[in-house]
Amino acid sequence: MTSTWVPYLIVAAGLLFAGIYCLLAMRNIIKLFIGVEIISKAVSLIIVATGFAKKNILVAQSLAVTFIVVEVCLVATALAIIINIYRHTKSLDIRKLSKLKG
Amino acid sequence: MSLQILLLVGLVLFSVAAVLLKDLIKAAICLAAASLVLGILFFRMGAPYAGAFEISVVAGLITVLFMLTIALTKTGGDVAESKLATVAFPLFFILFLAVDFIVTKNLIQKIVALPAAPEAGAFGEVLWKQRTLDLVGQVCIIFAGVLAVLALFRKRSKDNDD
Repeated sequence: MTSTWVPYLIVAAGLLFAGIYCLLAMRNIIKLFIGVEIISKAVSLIIVATGFAKKNILVAQSLAVTFIVVEVCLVATALAIIINIYRHTKSLDIRKLSKLKG
Repeated sequence: MSLQILLLVGLVLFSVAAVLLKDLIKAAICLAAASLVLGILFFRMGAPYAGAFEISVVAGLITVLFMLTIALTKTGGDVAESKLATVAFPLFFILFLAVDFIVTKNLIQKIVALPAAPEAGAFGEVLWKQRTLDLVGQVCIIFAGVLAVLALFRKRSKDNDD
């Protein structure tokens, strides 16, 4: 079981690292959101891979479908917020939002 | 198994390209390609419904939403990224993968595997009978998402007066 699981675990951790690095280092808001998408890919990969390795693929599959639906709602709302931020600041630079600090 | 490894490598490469590419359109296309590879991986792992959702919704719909946002924000889209962050990323990433490989390989043997519950039936039965609460949650989240988008794009009364 573990031998089939290991490559997926390694790749999912790598994707998680790439997404978190993108969130920490990038300044473009759309780029930050691409980082969030990469993290969500890592999570869905680990859900299905765990189901595959544990011979429990049906439950894992239904969880992955639920996760994808949540992801789509998140994307739609976040992109609407990004467009509103752009209308407000005329820029996609995350540093321009520092004015929101209380 | 070797095809699985190739697909995993492709997934990592497309995701890294999505992080590193400066052009947002190219980055969005790389993200879609990564979703496509992930969908193929799901199919190969015996999860066809998740694969179909991943390819149609994530690789299709979300990419279209990304393209629309990039097109709507094109004039202000040029944000200077830190060069150090872009240059240092491949180095950190390779270092992380090496540490990740060593740690996972050693730790996975020490983790006691929990007994898996035997599962029977079809995907539909599991989704509708075992995960009913998830479906209710999905409906609520879709409804909340629709309301949020409507609220964010509504015309303010001030605009109407103008």
